[in-house]
Amino acid sequence: MIRMQAVTKTYETAAGSFAALRGIDLEIRAGEMVAIVGRSGSGKSTLLNMVAGIDRPTSGEVAVAGTSIQSLSHDRLATWRGRSVGIVFQFFQLLPTLTVIENVMLPMDFCGAIPPNARRDRALELLDRVGVPEQADKLPSTLSGGQQQRVAIARALANDPPLILADEPTGNLDSSTGEAVFRLFGDLVADGKTVVIVTHERDAVSGVSRTVTLADGCVAS
Amino acid sequence: MRRLVIAPRWKKVVRDIMERPGRSVLAVIAMTAGVFALGTMVVKYATLRPVLATMYGDTRPSSATLFTDALSDALVDSVRRVEGVGDAELRPVIIARARLGEDEWIPAVLFVIRDFDAQRLDVFKRDTGAWPPADGEVLLERSAVAVAKIERDANLMIRTAGGEDHELKFAGTVHAAGLAPAWMEHVVYGFVAWSSSARGDGSNESSQIRISVAEHPLDEGHIREVAGRVKALLEREGHTVARIDVPIPGRHPHADQMDTFIYLLGAFGILSFLLSSVLVASMVHALLSEQLRQVGVMKAIGATTRQIAGIYLGQVALLATAALAIGGPLAFFAGRAYAEFSAGILNADVSHSPFPWGALIVLAVVGIAVPLAVALGPVLRASRITVHQALNDDLGPRPFGSRGLERRLAAISWLPRPLLLSLRTTFLRRGRLLLTVVMLALGGAVFMSALNVSGAWQRAVNADFSMRRYDLTVRFAESQPIAVVDEALAKLPVVRDAEYWPGANPYLIGPNGAPGSTIAMTGPTPGSKLLTLPLLDGRWLTPGDTNAVVINNAALIRNPKLRVGGTIEVRNNGTTHAFPIVGMVKEMAPMAVIYAPPRAVLAVTGADGEQTRIARVVTTEHTEAGQLGASREVERAFEAMEIEVTGMQSMLDVRKGILDHLVIILVVLTMASTLVVFVGGLALTSTLSINVMLRTREIGVLGAIGATPRTISSHVWIEGLLIGLMSWIVALLIAAPVSWLLESVTGNMFFKAPLAFFMSLQAALIWLALIVVLATLSSLYPAWRASRLTIREALSTT
Repeated sequence: MIRMQAVTKTYETAAGSFAALRGIDLEIRAGEMVAIVGRSGSGKSTLLNMVAGIDRPTSGEVAVAGTSIQSLSHDRLATWRGRSVGIVFQFFQLLPTLTVIENVMLPMDFCGAIPPNARRDRALELLDRVGVPEQADKLPSTLSGGQQQRVAIARALANDPPLILADEPTGNLDSSTGEAVFRLFGDLVADGKTVVIVTHERDAVSGVSRTVTLADGCVAS
Repeated sequence: MRRLVIAPRWKKVVRDIMERPGRSVLAVIAMTAGVFALGTMVVKYATLRPVLATMYGDTRPSSATLFTDALSDALVDSVRRVEGVGDAELRPVIIARARLGEDEWIPAVLFVIRDFDAQRLDVFKRDTGAWPPADGEVLLERSAVAVAKIERDANLMIRTAGGEDHELKFAGTVHAAGLAPAWMEHVVYGFVAWSSSARGDGSNESSQIRISVAEHPLDEGHIREVAGRVKALLEREGHTVARIDVPIPGRHPHADQMDTFIYLLGAFGILSFLLSSVLVASMVHALLSEQLRQVGVMKAIGATTRQIAGIYLGQVALLATAALAIGGPLAFFAGRAYAEFSAGILNADVSHSPFPWGALIVLAVVGIAVPLAVALGPVLRASRITVHQALNDDLGPRPFGSRGLERRLAAISWLPRPLLLSLRTTFLRRGRLLLTVVMLALGGAVFMSALNVSGAWQRAVNADFSMRRYDLTVRFAESQPIAVVDEALAKLPVVRDAEYWPGANPYLIGPNGAPGSTIAMTGPTPGSKLLTLPLLDGRWLTPGDTNAVVINNAALIRNPKLRVGGTIEVRNNGTTHAFPIVGMVKEMAPMAVIYAPPRAVLAVTGADGEQTRIARVVTTEHTEAGQLGASREVERAFEAMEIEVTGMQSMLDVRKGILDHLVIILVVLTMASTLVVFVGGLALTSTLSINVMLRTREIGVLGAIGATPRTISSHVWIEGLLIGLMSWIVALLIAAPVSWLLESVTGNMFFKAPLAFFMSLQAALIWLALIVVLATLSSLYPAWRASRLTIREALSTT
């Protein structure tokens, strides 16, 4: 599903250049649930951004589901991402002026893969699946953190992508809610999705098939 | 039933607008101001243009007027057959005065009409009341009713130049579109029947025959040639032709003023529209910088650049539509009202002008397209941002201190700390600061220029009148022995002094060597203290001069070849006289004048110098009441001696008449500056709100370390004041050239001479006071918002 070969990423900053990734080789197969762990600054979020096509490598190659994503233009990348990747952010990042169900429908709206008449039903189905169907017509600001993260997962599933990427999805949640979120990811893997989770909470990682540890931009184990 | 599906992104468009009502309202107001400014101009233009295009031509204006004596109808028929003559109409004119109240008179011109229903030239139309008038009745030009201060069916008392009094019933009004409006000319225009009682024995009439030319109606040379043939015919038939008047062909007498107003206000309309567009662009830019993270998220979940741009352009289009819905109707009514006001200057009628569909369609298109166009840049920039940049705040504010100016500001430490904070944040966003300062400054510059121009006018008029040290000009119906007049005036205690300057109205020989229109010639008493005009070149008359003359600046427009050291030629009663020009003076008057020694003037007229028709009187009191009182006593004294007075002018009255013309300029300029000031005020409010929004976190920190809501809102206020003060300085710099330009243009327009450059200290101080008020008002909302933010809200924004 994911193949990274000799990927490096260097940022130019006022304080000089900074290497976030140094020669990463990584392969993740379809149906895996992989945790990428490491300290703050180890390069794990950068790695996730490379896979999502949010950031481009300085050198090396990133291929996701057979698509070499560094060769896509920004716009083609956005469309590809909408259909192939679902992203879950640490701070949920729901759009504040749209209701819960509208947030879930938004990716369908952008990608056009789901017919307009089917979108609302599908969104309701997804909300039901993540356990917050009764919140559908509320605004995100009225929801708890755990509920918001469930909505964000539903949104990530909107276009039925094969790959789910989550950047510290439990970082802003209490531990029991965090566990529930991980269980949800486990269910997705059971349904055949590939899930990659970035986290620095080693202990909280449960049910993953593999853990990749990063240190100073390299794969440590 | 199929449910109507509105895509969530379009819902976002509407909800984002509703979520920030303050900012949305501000944006709509900014766009409305632009739509209003532009719309007023196009509606006005569209309303006025079809009327102006046909109005003057529809009156069938005469090409020339010949002043002659009574003509028979048969002779008028012969005139119509003269080669090149299109048509002719005999229209005698009774020069008279109309009585407004006790001892209060105003010049009146009564046109005697052969047949009201068969007018040939200078056509006027029935308006209200009687048509045609009976023998004892008069119809007034509709703009003259207010001037005559008369009610319908009341009697208008007329005193003709011959001293006969007639009571005429005011029976109705007409619309004579070819005449300048009576309220601007301070003349009562009336129309009477051929058999009117006001004609008396006809001795008080000026018999005028008006002709039009059959071909080349705009060729002044051709018109003069044809008029010359008519003159020759009349002279062959034993009549005398005293004068030929040829107005500028095809131009309404006030067309120049009209054009100036159209261009002046048109320019301000476009300026306001452009400013509001720039303001809209800046607002969109601010909106997007707040939405960057959301842009990133939407891109992360699959939105393309085009889709993102669509969302924000949709928002702008929606706001622009709202602005159009408000501003469009407002602009329509304002444009119509303004067209009516402008039509008043031309004595035109716009009530039948077609509905300006075209103008409204143009307005709708421009009103939507321009905001979209100005928003396109910021929207595209924001939509093209990468997810990584958006989510990592890579495009966040530049740190303070990265520029030289900022480091210098940071080095200031002697100011109070809250002021320092305001000062430094003011300069953090230099682009927006510059925009706000320039907008406010433009408004201020126009505002100050309006006051400066008006001040320059007052000074110029006052200076001009201070050089004419007499109070009354008395005109007699017939020449009177100077000795008799002088003795009568000397007996009056209200009169201090009087002088009797001979005058003439010869033809000025034009640059082509042919006589053109007449020029006034005046012979002030040698060494007279009553007149000292500012010299542009050469010298003023001395007692030793015999035939040297001084001309004024207006004479130069009539014949540009005239210069000091050259000669000027005039023609009177068939004789040409040449005078060496020794000086040129500047006068605030559109009338060309030759100042000459009295004997030179007498040589032109052939009079003996013992008689006069004009007395210039110095009264003991120079106040308005003093001049009015003296004029009444002088009039009564001559009445008792049975000397007919046809004109009595007090200099303060004349001055007032000139200053009345200025009111229009002042109104027009003030209207224009109000709009620009308004847009500038919006820019200030918007800048302050945006700064508050972008500094939400900083405000939270201030609160957390102990700043009260009052301190925080005072920061915003001080920031507003600082921006206002900067704009005040810039406004002063812009106002100088703008004032100079307007003073030149309006001076040339009305008096054929630029006004002396003048900037009013008062205007600068008034604007300073207004800026403080404006800055305070503009900072109210942002300051209120800033002070209401709780620390938790402020610090939790991401």
